[in-house]
This record gives sequence, C-alpha cells and structure tokens, in this order.
Amino acid sequence: MVPYRHSLRVALIVGATACYSGGPLDPPAPPVTTGPVGAAIASPSAAQRLTRVQYANAIRDLFGAEVVVPTALEPDIAGNGFEAVGAKSSTISARGVEQYETAGYSIGKQVAANPTLLARILTCTPTAPDDAACARIFVSALGPVVYRRPLADAEIASLSAIVTTAGTAFASFEKGVSYGIARMLQSPHFLYRPAAGEPDSDNPGKKRYTSYEIAARLSFFLWNSVPDAELLAAAKSNALDTYEHVSAQVERMLASPKARDGLRNFVKEWLRLGELDDLTKDSKLFTTFTSDLGPMAREETLRVFDSLVFEKDADIRDVMTTNQTFVTAKLASMYEIPAPSKTDFAPVDLPADGLRRGLLGHISILALYAHPTTSSATLRGKFVREKLLCTPIPLPPVNLSTGLPEATPDAPTLRARSLVHMGDPTCASCHRMMDPIGFGLEQFDGIGRLRSKENGTVIDPTGELDGAKFGGAASLGHAIHDDPRFAGCFARKLYQYATASEISDDEEATVSALAQRFALTGYKLKTLIAAVATSPAFRAYGDPK
Amino acid sequence: MKRTLSRRSVLRGFLAGGVVTIGLPYLEVFGGLKRAHASPDGLPKRFGMFFWGNGVLPDRWVPAATGTAYALSPTLSVLAPSQPKISIVTGMKVPIVNQIPHMSGPIGFFTGSPPVTGKPDAFNAPTLDQVIASVVGVDSRFRSLEAAVQPGATGLSYNGANSQNPAEASPAALFARVFGPEFVKPGTTPPYNPTLDLRKSVLDGVAEDANSLKSILGATDKHRLDQHLDGVRALEQRIQRLKESPPNLAACTVPASPKDQYPDVAGRPPMSEISRAMVDILAMTLACDQTRVFSLWFSSPVNNTLFTGAPAGHHQLTHDEPSPQPEVAKILDQIMGELAYLLKAFDAIPEGDGTLLDHCAILATSDCNYGRQHTLDDFPIVIAGSCNGALKTGLHYRAPSPDNTSKVALTLARAMGLTLDSFGTAEGKVTSGLSAIEV
Repeated sequence: MVPYRHSLRVALIVGATACYSGGPLDPPAPPVTTGPVGAAIASPSAAQRLTRVQYANAIRDLFGAEVVVPTALEPDIAGNGFEAVGAKSSTISARGVEQYETAGYSIGKQVAANPTLLARILTCTPTAPDDAACARIFVSALGPVVYRRPLADAEIASLSAIVTTAGTAFASFEKGVSYGIARMLQSPHFLYRPAAGEPDSDNPGKKRYTSYEIAARLSFFLWNSVPDAELLAAAKSNALDTYEHVSAQVERMLASPKARDGLRNFVKEWLRLGELDDLTKDSKLFTTFTSDLGPMAREETLRVFDSLVFEKDADIRDVMTTNQTFVTAKLASMYEIPAPSKTDFAPVDLPADGLRRGLLGHISILALYAHPTTSSATLRGKFVREKLLCTPIPLPPVNLSTGLPEATPDAPTLRARSLVHMGDPTCASCHRMMDPIGFGLEQFDGIGRLRSKENGTVIDPTGELDGAKFGGAASLGHAIHDDPRFAGCFARKLYQYATASEISDDEEATVSALAQRFALTGYKLKTLIAAVATSPAFRAYGDPK
Repeated sequence: MKRTLSRRSVLRGFLAGGVVTIGLPYLEVFGGLKRAHASPDGLPKRFGMFFWGNGVLPDRWVPAATGTAYALSPTLSVLAPSQPKISIVTGMKVPIVNQIPHMSGPIGFFTGSPPVTGKPDAFNAPTLDQVIASVVGVDSRFRSLEAAVQPGATGLSYNGANSQNPAEASPAALFARVFGPEFVKPGTTPPYNPTLDLRKSVLDGVAEDANSLKSILGATDKHRLDQHLDGVRALEQRIQRLKESPPNLAACTVPASPKDQYPDVAGRPPMSEISRAMVDILAMTLACDQTRVFSLWFSSPVNNTLFTGAPAGHHQLTHDEPSPQPEVAKILDQIMGELAYLLKAFDAIPEGDGTLLDHCAILATSDCNYGRQHTLDDFPIVIAGSCNGALKTGLHYRAPSPDNTSKVALTLARAMGLTLDSFGTAEGKVTSGLSAIEV
C-alpha cells in the first residue's frame, strides 16, 4: 500500500509542478484557522473491542445509569501507551468470553426486573410469554441501538427466537427479554466496532466508512461511548458525509456532558493514571499513604483538565503552570493548605509563593512516577520526555549492571548518587536525557509531599531542559509550557488516541498540520479535539491489515 | 468430544510411566474413563507453572553438587521437604536474542520462539501452558486457569500474538468461578438446569455473528474473531461438562472460601496470604478435575512490589542494592517459601497410590537469571512432580555446556502426553527433550 501511495503523491507533485507557469510566487497564505486539517491519508481500519470503560458507558447510555455494570471484564491492554490502541489488536481470552456472558445475563436480568428500565426499551405489551410479534418489535427497536446499525431481517428473526424460546421456557416474556439482552450484549456486533466500509462512489475501487461507522468513530472518540439517537439518525439520513455535516455533529457532541467523559478517558490513558489503582507505597515511610490516595489523586488531575477545557476553555498549556486545583481534605493536608471542603473535592488556589504548580505538582504524577520507598528522578524525567514532549527514550541495554550507588557522606542525595552513576558513559547517554529533568522535582518525595532536605542535605532543584534552565519544579513547568514540543505532543497523542493506530510516515503531515492549527487557535484543547474529529484522515477508511 | 486412547498411546503411557504391573481392575477403570490424557493409574495428569519476576541471585541459586545426592542451595533450601519430588535444572540458556530486560526470557522460554518482529516485548506464539492446554484442556471444565498473586498482575499466558489469557488476581473471583453455584461435585448427578440449553443456544447465535463478521473484515480481525470463537467454544464445553456427572475423585472437596479482599498491610500487599489462598483453591480445582492446566503468576517481570521487611521495591533493589544483595536474597526466600507451600499443599492431597503432586508436572521459573544484569544463560528452573512417573525427580541436573531451554518445554509437554515432534521455532526449535530428566 505504501509504495502505491508514495507514487500517487509523487505523481500529484509532478503534476502540480508541470502546471507552474513561471510567474512570481504567491505571497504566503494567511494562517488558516478553520476548515478541515490535513489530507485524507488514513490509518488501517480494524475492529476495536470495547474497553472496559466503553462497555460500562455503553450500558449506561443504552439502558440507564441505574444498571450496575459488572466490573469483572477482560482487562484492557495498552498499545503504544493507549488502551484505545491496544483494543485494535488484542484478542479476547476464554475467560473474557465467559465474563461477557456473566455480564450480559446480569444486565439483562436487571433491566427486565425493573419496570422503569424495561419500559424504556419495550414498547409493546406482550400477550403471552412467547408473543412473537412483541418480541419482534422489541428486537427491532433495541437491536439497531446496541449494534449501532440497522439489523438484517435474519438477525431480527434470530434474536426474536431467543426471546420467545426463553420466554416459553420460563413462562415469562420478561425473562425472554432478559435473554434477548444477554444475547445482544455477547454479540461481536456489540463488543467490537467492526469497520468493513463500503464502496466509495467518488473514488471507484476505493472504500469509505459507512455513515454508521463514522457515527461510532465520532461517539467513541468524543464520548467514549455509543452514538445517541440523534447521531444514529444523522447516520441514517446520510448526514455525516461532509466536513460541514460532521462539524455540526462534533460541535453538538462537544457541548454534551458526555464529552467530559471522553476527555477524562483520554487524559487517563495518556498519563497512565489507571495505574494509580495499584499504587504501592511504604506507609511506614509515607505515613499519609492510604489505599484511596491513588484514585483520589487521579480525580484531582482529571478535574483540573476538565475545568481548563470545559469551564474556562483556556490555553491547555496552562495545565503546567496553573495554581488552581481541586482537593479533598486529605489532599489539602498533604499539600499543607487549608481544606476548602471537609466532605468532597473543592476548587482551591495554591499559595502564590509555593513551589507546587500545575501538573508536575500533582500527587498523581509525583507518586506514580516514583518508587515505593523513594522518589525517582529517572522515572519522572522519563515521564516528561515520553508523555509530555513525545521524545522516546531508548530501552536500557541488557546484560549491564544498572545499579545506583548507595548514599554516602560524599553523595547524600539522589542527585549526587545519580551523578556518580552518570560517570559511566553507557548509562549517561540515556540518563542525561531524563535525570536532570527529574532533579527539578526532587523537592517532592516519593508520594509528592514537599521536602527541603534529603539525608540532612539541602536539595538542589535546579536543572535544564535541553538548554532552558530552570530553578525548580515551578520553573520546570514553565519551561515545558513554553516548549513547542509540548503543544505538538498534545496533537500527536490526541490523534493517535483518536485513530487508535501507530502513526505512519504518511500521517506525519496530518499531525504537523494539527499541531499548527492548535497553535494558531490559542492552544484550546476543545478546538484541537474538533480538528481531529473533522480531519479527513480521521474520517477516511484505511484498508485493514 | 468423546475420545478413547489408542492401544499405542496406552502402551506408550505404560512404558513412559514405568508402570508395567497394572492389573485388570485398573484397566476397567481405564476403559470406563471417558476422557483421554489420563495416567496409567486412571488419574489425570496436570501441568502447572509458578512464575516470579526479577530473576535470582545465581550464587545463592545453583546447588554445588549435581546428581541425586546433592545439597540444596541457600535460596532453594526451603524446598527441602519436597526435595525427593523435585528436580533442579541449571545451565540452560533461553534461545533468543536478549533484547528486552525481563521479557526476552519468558518469551524465549515459554514459546521457544522470537518475539513479534519490531516488537521485542510481544509474545508471538502460544506459551507452554497453552500448548499443553490446547490438547489436554479439552477434557475438563476449564481448558486452563490462570491466577496472579501480585495485585494488578495479569500473567504471561498467551495463545499467540496479542492473545493474552489474563490471570485472575482475586482469590474470591477464582473461587466463585470454579466453586460457585454452578460447581458439580464429582460423583454427584447435577439437577436438570433449563438455563444450560438456553445458554448454549445464545452462544450458537454469538458464534454465528462472529462468523458473519469474519466474512467481511480484514485478516487481522478474522484472526481475532477466531480467538473469540475459540473462547465461545471453551464456554460451550464448560456448559456441556456441567450437564455431566464428573468422575468420582475421592480427594475432591470444596475448599474454604477465601476472603473477599486482601488489602495492603502498611502499604505492602500480603503476598504470602494471597498466594496461599490461590494455592488452596487451585489444589482443589485440580483434585476435583475442573482443569488440568494452571499457572500461578506470583509476581510480574520488573515488578516493584514492596515485600514484607524490604527497604525498597523488588525491582529497584535488584539494581540498586550493593552486592551480595542481602535484601534481594530475603525476597527470594519469601518467594521460594510460597513455592514450598504450593508443593506441600499438592503433596498433601492423596490420589491413587500417590499424591496430587505425583500427578503433576510443575515448572517454576523467573524472567531472567541474575536480576541485576538480566542474563538469559543459566536460567533458574525447578521442575516439581513426576507427572505420574514420566519425569525423574530428586536430582540436580546441570547442562555441561549452555543448552536450549526449549528442551525442557518439550520434555514437559511430552510428559503430559502430547505427541510433539518439536518445540519452538528458529533458534529455539528443538526436536529432542532433556533426556536427563525423562524416564
């Protein structure tokens, strides 16, 4: 495929050059801040399996928030740092199939036993446990919502048969309905997001996504859930075929509260905040550590993103410098500030003269990127490089002793010990990319509490980020804020998350164009999300692998 | 699925098992047994894996002497009560390029094959437990069971690229899965359950859906749906087994329920308590013949678990603690203590003329040799149980020159009754096993 694309592109360039008549070149065009971004060069399509969060959101949106969704489902596997990407290639285990079965029956039972929930999806009144006509009406209404597309007649017949067979076996139409629900929820049509495409009448021999597939792409990217009735209606009337049509839907969808779920999920996957569920810290050393700290710290970070994007529509780079955050009484005590609320999260301004600023002051990041008993300049520096600046770090060499020397009177601090370590050129080649960044965060211990000394020695938090000198955590945050790689990294990560793919060389131009649009429109994340969702690349069908 | 043993395989089983004086009553039992892969004494053979992350300290691992009269090394000394029923194998080398610390080892050992091209940390072939489960697993309710001790760990059991079998990390969930309301005690007749046929019909429909999707999607997705279908078939097998009256296994009892949760103690996961809860459930799962293949993933590669008494996380210590790494040694003692518990628990369950352990082949290993340097030579390997006489025990075998770990894998698979010509691919491929431990 790639050679063909290349040759096509070369042909276009040659063609364009041939038309150039030799007159003066046009002056540079003014920056474009509206309209589609990038070319229609797509990543390969594949059937993503719903992640655990998507499954739960789907059940909420299909049946109601009252349904308790079983949490024992196949764990998601990250690919390129995103569960969304892993969902495109990972398969399901035998246990996972079993768990889908258990979950399907549990949900079916809950819905069928709850008259309010049942009334939302059952519009006819059954006259008998095996009322075939009513079963058909039920399946015809629910099926297209669960499968996110119209059903074939044979599918309707097959699903209705389960409803009536189970209804007969238990002498209860509602029981039949519960089996019908369980049947649909176990179907690969629900559990995967198949993208078979259809012939593209504008490009003979090529395929495009069906309008229903576009609807699902939009809803899972923007809401991390299933399309709503309006989006499915737009798909039905083929009103998702142009940039303008899609833009209108994207605008509507970003105004929905569900867009906040979408953003939260992106941030959680990007920063690996799910791992805070299994945070291990020595509570004898870190006396404030409790098992609820990890999830609580994650919520703080998600609220800060949510507020910057949806409340303030701010320059998202401010996430590195803001002194505004959200804390519980416990987090407030760890930050050594008065608790704004005794019972729940509440907004708070961190002291103006404090060291703690922005994301790099959050306990979520400081505790996650650290060891169980100590901080780690390496892990924190690696986080900044890979997650915030999109600079990959090579893997450590194998068959090499990688130990840090013990603290000694001559080298009492982590910085001093690391500098001894970096005397070895093999280690230094990578560690000097990470450790000097992490040194800037050494005034926060392994759980994110402020400290000024390590082993009795005052900590030196100065460092430099590729030439930009910083005096400590707060100015490191500013240096990242101002680093063009940070904004570019947002565009790259968001595009990768949206398309759930490794970014091919051909797609690099789209990523650059998105980053440019992001900069020209004031680094508003909502604008970037819309630019990705409406980009020709996101909407174009790529041949599967 | 009904299968009978061919005369040839019976004979081979007898010879391999070294049981030549079997009397007619046993043969009657044998003839009455519906399912294959049983031992000559009529009892099923089981395969298990016990895995921990971050390797060992070679100086404390390798016993000084070889042969049958050898003294266990310091790290292995806690296995002393089981010494006659285990073999220590040293001097074996994982046959792939050491590209990724902690991952090249398990990928190379468990699959005998290189990783996915361009993704050196990705399994590209089924792991040994699944190779064995694909044959012996068809006879039991669960084709295989995977359990993890370290909170959040998912294990390293794979059916191939991108096809992980995530381990169950909650003892309560594992207990519910095996011994929940559906459990039918061997020797009893299950009551008629109308839901089983309906569940079967539903699954038939699910399989139809998967097949219809296969016809319109790309090659990768087709393969993924095949895996899904495989899971559906495994579930149908399970439902079928629930309708049957399982063979009467004398030692089978429902174990005590584990705790719902095992919260951290002072910020440290109670690894020992969780491991023992898992082992108690697994022992009865095997004794009740609910599965014949299990894996217990004690801790993950690179895990930084804070063990009881340790001053830092496990992985951090393997790199930062000065030699001879006494804190790492204490962690390894704890891990071997849990392996010792497993062996003791299995050996306490009588089966036939021996014990459950005698009907097992259990492979215990890690992700590298010396954790500090991620070496793949002299890989740590313990094999427990004689697999009903198919394996030699009570010895320390040391390869005279670095030898391929795939030989160990092939020997274990053949001991379980698989008729494999080879194990592994490319550099990892072997056509003969490790004869030193074969009977």
